[in-house]
Amino acid sequence: MKKLTFDYYMQIDYSETVSSCHFTIKCLPKETLRQRAENVKVLLSPDVPYNMGRDSFGNAQIYGWDDVAHTTFSFRITGDVYTGLDRREEQIDEDMLAVFRHPHGLNRAGEGLFAYHEKLAGELQADAYERALFLTHRLHEDFVYEKGCTDVGTTAEEAWKLGRGVCQDYAHILIALLHMEGIPARYVTGMIPGEGASHAWVEIAKDGFWYGIDPTNDIPAGDDYIKIGVGRDAADCLINRGIMHGGGSQTQVVRVSVNEERKD
Amino acid sequence: MEDRMRQLDLLKHTDTVNELLARYGVKFGIYKNNEFKEQLFPFDAIPRIIEHEEFLFLERGLKQRVMALNLFIKDIYSKKQIVKDGIVPEDFIFASSGYMAECENAMPPRGIYAHISGIDLVKGKDGHWYILEDNLRVPSGASYPMIARELCRRSSPDTFHDNHLEDNRNYAGLLRHTMDYVNTGGHTVILTPGRYNAAYFEHSYLAEKTGAHLVNGSELRVKNDRLYYVSVDGSLEPVGAVYRRISDDYLDPMNFRPDSLIGIPHIYDVFRKGNVALLNAPGNGVADDKGIYYFVPKMIRYYLDEEPVLSNAPTYLPFYEEDMRYVLENFDRLVLKDVAEAGGYGVVFGSSMSKEQKEDFIALLKREPRRFIAQEVIDFQDLDIMDDCFVVPRKADLRAFVLMAEEPLVWKSGLTRFSRNPDSFIVNSSQGGGFKDTWVLSQ
Repeated sequence: MKKLTFDYYMQIDYSETVSSCHFTIKCLPKETLRQRAENVKVLLSPDVPYNMGRDSFGNAQIYGWDDVAHTTFSFRITGDVYTGLDRREEQIDEDMLAVFRHPHGLNRAGEGLFAYHEKLAGELQADAYERALFLTHRLHEDFVYEKGCTDVGTTAEEAWKLGRGVCQDYAHILIALLHMEGIPARYVTGMIPGEGASHAWVEIAKDGFWYGIDPTNDIPAGDDYIKIGVGRDAADCLINRGIMHGGGSQTQVVRVSVNEERKD
Repeated sequence: MEDRMRQLDLLKHTDTVNELLARYGVKFGIYKNNEFKEQLFPFDAIPRIIEHEEFLFLERGLKQRVMALNLFIKDIYSKKQIVKDGIVPEDFIFASSGYMAECENAMPPRGIYAHISGIDLVKGKDGHWYILEDNLRVPSGASYPMIARELCRRSSPDTFHDNHLEDNRNYAGLLRHTMDYVNTGGHTVILTPGRYNAAYFEHSYLAEKTGAHLVNGSELRVKNDRLYYVSVDGSLEPVGAVYRRISDDYLDPMNFRPDSLIGIPHIYDVFRKGNVALLNAPGNGVADDKGIYYFVPKMIRYYLDEEPVLSNAPTYLPFYEEDMRYVLENFDRLVLKDVAEAGGYGVVFGSSMSKEQKEDFIALLKREPRRFIAQEVIDFQDLDIMDDCFVVPRKADLRAFVLMAEEPLVWKSGLTRFSRNPDSFIVNSSQGGGFKDTWVLSQ
């Protein structure tokens, strides 16, 4: 077990005044078998009232309408998360399982990925979880981590053809490969120790439970992982979504820090 | 029947009724070559007449069908028992563009999904009625026979005195009841994308007749998990039911298409909390897809434990090997439909293809078998229409409207559309067809 403290900060600066905006933020750590959150605080600027609910995947969301004129919008979410409480992430909701068995949106494969899968087919093990680990391992070897060459709308096939990308792309490609194996898989957003941006990985179904696997780092999602949201692809669990009146051009900054609290 | 038709004083008034329809703005807006054009929707005064007994039969079948479809949608967005029990293959749900995962775990008020259904039927030469398709998203068309009846009654009162038919002017009342039944508290509004929408006439007409406010997206606002109507003086008045005439995709830019300018941000979050009714509920596309059509008779047996009263047109799914074989062997006499298309598009007749087109099509069919359905071409009955001074036969269908409140209610009328082209089977108004009133005899 570990106790991690996190600080997720997002700021958007506009070149012109925003007269009003609507926002949805999905950035609260999820309560699971593997992790438990405490002391979670939400800070919005401008400080407007908000509502809370859950989306169809059970992700907590904060949403509202900001009608205070502003040129900067930001939110900060902080808290402590106890991780590594279990190896299993969550119990599978059997009614939703089929949703994660079919290609959708950004996790769609094309000719390139089908050919890659075929090449690996001969080496695949019988056990589904072992196969998932093997595919993760091969993907980690055959795909290059590089920032800036893909964006939030890049599909699994597009990223695979480029041969390079970031955690989001690793996750989409792995999900596409798992679908070809008939293994239900879902996309996960979250945070890992260090300073930087948010992280993304994959969960696979095994014996009635979801288990996290991180293809970017080729390891199971263990006690360094703070899980936020799940979905079929990145679009299902965007951390922030908004539309605004006015604003001109915008620049967005995200600063995430996660530290392990050590006992002296 | 023939005699009755000939005696119709009404026919003399065809031009007057058409002029009045034009004056009232009964038009169909269409986009062609990126240009918005308004077309008149030509009215033919010879009514389609459905005998009393025959309509009772249709009514039974339509109620049954809409009951089953509602249960299906509710099941799909919760337990998915029909999939678990192997009645509908997973592929036909989750690979369908009509399935929306966003609608999982969001139960609409009173559990109703399809409040207003437009079921398209044709009558075959064999005298049998066949269901052509179910429209469970935003079916339009009820306003046309409503206003046509009103104008016909005015032009030729005697016709309606001499013939015993069901008064169809109760549609507004039925619709109002359907909206009130699910209203969660507050105003009832009809949400229109605006006057450039193909069915704008209908939106304004139904608002006028039901007494609901006609609003556009900018007049509605979400605040504190409630939906409000922004009145002229800027005050906020709660809304409890929205008969929305915009598609799911454009309904809420915060939950669906982010580039929608005609939707209401967060309206779906309010819906999810149970604080507003949306008619029809989002997500219904999963049940009216051409691929799912094949399974509707199975749904009726599965959910209601009844035999379907009304038949589907004989349909084959190339997805199943056996059906694929049949389709390839009988290609020339089948009609093939792309499940993702609507409005009469994506429909091809095997017999009308050149050898090359056929080869290309079969290759496509083999590559994407789930994308198509094949159907026997139904030789449907012609209806008489007036073409200048001549009575000529034309292909026609019937859109029946079924409203769902405490129980399903079938409107005793419907929109009869006909093809003006003698060689065409396609009657959609977006392809230039006309319409008739539908008379249901009261005895």
